[in-house]
Amino acid sequence: MTTASEVLSSIQSAFPGAVSDARVESDRRLWATIDSNKILDVCKHLTGKLNFDHYSGSAGVDWIARNEMEVVQIMASHGAHQVVAMLKVKTPRTNPSVKSLTGLYWNASWYEREIWEMLGINFEGHPELYPLLLSDPLVGVWPWRKDFKGYPDYTTGERAVAIPTPDGYTEYSFPPTPAEIEAGTVPTERPKYPSFLERETREIKSDSEMIMHLGPQHAMVPGPFLLDVLVEGERVKKAFLDIGYIHKGIEKIMENRTWLQDIVYTDRMCYVASLSNNECYCGAVEKILGLEVPLRAQYIRVILEELSRIQSHLIGTGEFLTLIAGVGFAPWQYMIMDRERIISLIESVTGARLTHTFVRFGGVRNDLPEGFAEQCKKDLPFMRSRIEEFIELFAQDPIYHARMENVGSISPETGKRMGCSGPVLRATGVAYDMRKEDPILVYPELDFKVITGTRGDSADRIDVRMREILESIHIIEQCLDKIPSGPIKTEAKIPKKVPAGEAYYRVEDPRGEMGMYVISDGGDKPYRVKVRGPFYATFQTLTPLLEGTYIADAVAIAGSMDGCPSESDR
Amino acid sequence: MGISDVIPVPVAIDDEIEKWTIFGQPVAEVWFTTTEKIHQIIQMGPIKNIFNWGRKNSVYFLMQPMGCCGVEMFVFGAAPYDSDRFGCIPRNTPRQTDVMIISGYLTRKYLPVFKNLWEQMPEPKWCIAIGECAISGGPFYDSYNIVQNTGDYFPIDVYIPGCPPRPEQFLEGLINLQEKIKQRKDLRDY
Repeated sequence: MTTASEVLSSIQSAFPGAVSDARVESDRRLWATIDSNKILDVCKHLTGKLNFDHYSGSAGVDWIARNEMEVVQIMASHGAHQVVAMLKVKTPRTNPSVKSLTGLYWNASWYEREIWEMLGINFEGHPELYPLLLSDPLVGVWPWRKDFKGYPDYTTGERAVAIPTPDGYTEYSFPPTPAEIEAGTVPTERPKYPSFLERETREIKSDSEMIMHLGPQHAMVPGPFLLDVLVEGERVKKAFLDIGYIHKGIEKIMENRTWLQDIVYTDRMCYVASLSNNECYCGAVEKILGLEVPLRAQYIRVILEELSRIQSHLIGTGEFLTLIAGVGFAPWQYMIMDRERIISLIESVTGARLTHTFVRFGGVRNDLPEGFAEQCKKDLPFMRSRIEEFIELFAQDPIYHARMENVGSISPETGKRMGCSGPVLRATGVAYDMRKEDPILVYPELDFKVITGTRGDSADRIDVRMREILESIHIIEQCLDKIPSGPIKTEAKIPKKVPAGEAYYRVEDPRGEMGMYVISDGGDKPYRVKVRGPFYATFQTLTPLLEGTYIADAVAIAGSMDGCPSESDR
Repeated sequence: MGISDVIPVPVAIDDEIEKWTIFGQPVAEVWFTTTEKIHQIIQMGPIKNIFNWGRKNSVYFLMQPMGCCGVEMFVFGAAPYDSDRFGCIPRNTPRQTDVMIISGYLTRKYLPVFKNLWEQMPEPKWCIAIGECAISGGPFYDSYNIVQNTGDYFPIDVYIPGCPPRPEQFLEGLINLQEKIKQRKDLRDY
């Protein structure tokens, strides 16, 4: 098995002088600063020779004290080994620019667009560098830079000047900042969000085509997003995805709250699976602090995360079924009713239905209540019988099969290349699960299977989710048997100021691989928190997947992804 | 039986009732009036109460989940809490709804779209703001992308605090809204 030090020595021997400031944190984490001219070659080397076939994302960091910016590329592998390489590329703070990886990795596009609009780092060679999350008035203010003046005073953040045109539309123009005038680097034209009119004139080639909006208001997806489809008759020729309608700026807010307060924000990132977000953030901070979590607390965390996975899969599948309306609204009502049982189990421990703020650094907030195990022993077998019923229901329904099978199929290679994870990738047959790949807590001691599908179509994705619920029930039952008595919080005193350092921590969210990259500069607030959300990556795959399908199927495919736009927008 | 027996007719209208006759026999009372006068009649009599009773018991809300509260809105509209008991069911298009539920944070990018949705709803319409984010910005009050007070943009009838509120609170807010609709006295949209 490849280890991090082997990867480092391989890079160093292939590209002498390219690596500076390398650090091998453990067998599984490698931190290295790469020469900005060599980053493309190093990435090619990693992908080609060392099986780093999973481009997991990238993060931008503004080091204002050192007067430089950093782009961190997160590289991992789909099961060949467990090393995560964090490759940093440095660039000066005035006119920051690095090389784009979009030529090598298809899914780099969104990550780079986000870094560009938030931090103002230019990506040379990026084909479509225009804003992803922000609206026009905020483009060009670079809100994630440390010297951004619009925070926390929300009235001063605007940069654009709105000019109403005679024909009723609004155009925005960006006056240069005093700093830009002084430095003489006034940009002549800023890329801005393509308006609907521009898109229409650019894309529509013949009279038989038209662009149709699906959204931004969707009835059954817990968040707004805009899916524009270019249709010819009933066929979708091309799809465009615009997100950011509920971009809250969580990463910026987290930099301005204390370490403990930030747990509240991780809850509200993906409210359907708050506990795994809690776990991801707390795990990263524990890694910097070097805390050991007591065994009982680890079991409690695992129990709650699996309960959270069950309710998330139930609501995701239920939403999807209302979207296709084939088997109708009845299963949705049943699933929501069953979900209430799980929600009340979680509520009996955490005291909240959705936003728990339950996990703490080095433990959990409170112990399991009396009678929790008995209640679980009543509810879980019931849940198992219900899920088996649902699986049977789907298997019997001919309409469901006709609509779902071989619709929106992803091949294993495409799934890997596009960076999706979780049930979407596992439905293609790739057994990629963070609980096995990068095990945390007591997962290595538990017995569970990684559920995979075969075809990678919409039906498989639902099937994988349903069978994963059965696995989760199995995990919880084991935990309830094995859970020892003992403390639920670590004995060590948790300091208010976290020592300087950085950590990348991955968990298996119900939607896939979730990672958090946390940097501390020794203060009482995080210096930077980067969230690598699972649905952000999966969302990107939607546009190529929709090409050539029917409009009716487009809705079904989008629904089978189990969307949570709140987490992709953050 | 003339119309004045059913509801009290303003004096001004009496002048415009014509008695049609055929060969000297009275056949019909024809009543000429204007919308404005009908409004006056509704205002005076029990018909308004009938309108209000109907509206109160068919408040359809727009399924428009935007945040954590949106997930609770699913549950509120589905079987476990069953808002249908109160005549309140989710609709998917704004053109068929009476109540807009602002169920989460309103961002600058979404605000114009949201205004569009509000304008697409037919009168009479009501608006409920749910959760801290919709009321005052909540935990995101100082974010660069969040609109703080939705009350500045939409005429909000009922505020339901909580982060997120429980579905029971949704029900209470709905009952408060129904009380408000029942007691409605103004002339608009009858």
